[in-house]
Amino acid sequence: MILRVKDLHKIYKGGTHALKGITFDVSEGEFLVIIGLSGSGKSTLLRCINRLIEPTSGTIEFVGKDITHVQGEELRKTKMQIGMVFQQFNLIKRRSVLTNVITGKLGALPSFTSIIEKYPGEVYNEAYKCLETVGIRDKARERADSLSGGQQQRVAIARSLMQNPRLLLADEPVASLDPATSNSVMLYFEKINKEIGTTVICNLHFLSLVRRYAARVIALKAGEIIYEGAPSSIDEKWFKTIYGEEAQEVEIR
Amino acid sequence: MSTGSDLDKSAGQLIQKGTKLKFRLAFIKAALLDIFFVFYSILVLQRAIYYKFILELRELPFSWTETGIIFFASIILGTFWTWSRTSLSSRLFGIAKKNKTTELTVEIFGWFLFNITFIAGWIVTKVSLVSLFSSEGIQGANRIFGALFKPEFGIFNDALFAIIETIYIALLATLISIPPSLLVSFFTARNLMKDNKISLGVYYILRIILNFIRSIEPLIWAIIFSVWVGIGPFAGMIALLVHTIASNAKLYSEAIESIEAGPVEAISATGARKIQIVWFAVLPQIFLPFLSFTIYRWDINVRMATVIGLVGGGGIGTMLIQYQGLARWHEVGLIILLISIVVWIMDYISARVREAIY
Repeated sequence: MILRVKDLHKIYKGGTHALKGITFDVSEGEFLVIIGLSGSGKSTLLRCINRLIEPTSGTIEFVGKDITHVQGEELRKTKMQIGMVFQQFNLIKRRSVLTNVITGKLGALPSFTSIIEKYPGEVYNEAYKCLETVGIRDKARERADSLSGGQQQRVAIARSLMQNPRLLLADEPVASLDPATSNSVMLYFEKINKEIGTTVICNLHFLSLVRRYAARVIALKAGEIIYEGAPSSIDEKWFKTIYGEEAQEVEIR
Repeated sequence: MSTGSDLDKSAGQLIQKGTKLKFRLAFIKAALLDIFFVFYSILVLQRAIYYKFILELRELPFSWTETGIIFFASIILGTFWTWSRTSLSSRLFGIAKKNKTTELTVEIFGWFLFNITFIAGWIVTKVSLVSLFSSEGIQGANRIFGALFKPEFGIFNDALFAIIETIYIALLATLISIPPSLLVSFFTARNLMKDNKISLGVYYILRIILNFIRSIEPLIWAIIFSVWVGIGPFAGMIALLVHTIASNAKLYSEAIESIEAGPVEAISATGARKIQIVWFAVLPQIFLPFLSFTIYRWDINVRMATVIGLVGGGGIGTMLIQYQGLARWHEVGLIILLISIVVWIMDYISARVREAIY
């Protein structure tokens, strides 16, 4: 098991109880998808796993080590092993694609050399390799904000690949992309999962994408797990339970 | 571990308590404002309408006892008015009853306030169309305008050197202000300082100091420093510098407060160190706003340096006030011409540079 989450609770300062006792395991090399409505706690869960936020109670075990409350240098080392891709890409807009990819390596580089931006040659080679993996090596010198949405998300994926992550988290990575681009971006996650063997945990909205890419699905509702299993067994009844009676499935191709 | 329903219950109580407290606070604020409105209205009615228009007095009399009686009456009337929850202030603070009376009161009293304020302003500023259009006045204006439009080019060299001095005063004040305002701005950005009590304390204290400095106009700083370091360009430069630091620190810190959180989150998620996060995710977002504010500030400072010169801050302003004192309007005309040209050029350049940046 690469990740073990046990009875995880998160209560925000304002009193919102976002996670209410989440328990699940993820095995090495798995492609796990988390679904649920907006506000069901999907983002909070991912942010707890890579410790962008600290859980209120419960435990998170990553590669056999309890990381629930690690702090300082140890927290930094943990974050370095977990890549994360966001819905809004979150690139440094005015810098080049290459610089953006290299920022994925910052944790492993000394402060001074990173600030004067003199990196060793192998860092550049690695960055180019990561860009090649997502098929935009030729865009390396362009400004990040001059790229299309789908390309920017691929840069973000390359940035997280730069970390050589054991685990890759993706928080609704295709929610601000059009359907065709969504599919191509999801293909890169699949490629990374299959070829490099990186474990992927991905939040998704659209069930058609879930059926196509997930090996296993967890559904959240109001901070609790209400479904866990294969994507193929989510039938009409489960769908209504997860998304509410009014919901209707929309097909995305 | 408390369960969800426990949390809900205590939250409910808290909310109820909160709304009660909020209502009381709003009531107190509304009552104070209503008292002020009533006091203000009666005073204006008494002084402007009764004394000025009905009794037609030239000098308006004033007595503390009278004002005190009016104030006392306003406290009673104002509180009573708020109590009825149909007043303008109770509407402003959201505690008014929703009915016809409130609507009518708000509308009529709003208009009433606007009109008496306008009338009071008219009287206080001693607006007089007679003096604006008297033949004597127009003759004087003719004389000055005639002279201004025939500038005396004999003093061109002196004026040119003086305005160059002004530009450098502004430039130096702007340049020296950059490091201190930068430093201060990080300590007055709420998003960087809100995490613990000590830093939040520093934030509030610095904000108060900056607001105080900024509320004193450069003109007054120039008067202070011309006593301190003597009349001349140095006094003008320091005066501008002090004001520029306070203003730019505020603008810079607002730029820091408005950065996108996304890149910061993304870089910190890669396991980067604090300084790397600031360098790669914060600085690129604030660099251009900083540059733009600084250039704009130079532009403002050139204009301010001119005014500061009038009170002994050196440069073209000092020259202008000297010739004005001698009533040599042809020379004044040249100086004004030169100032307008330079200000126009500065304005144009700074606008174009700022456009190019974004």
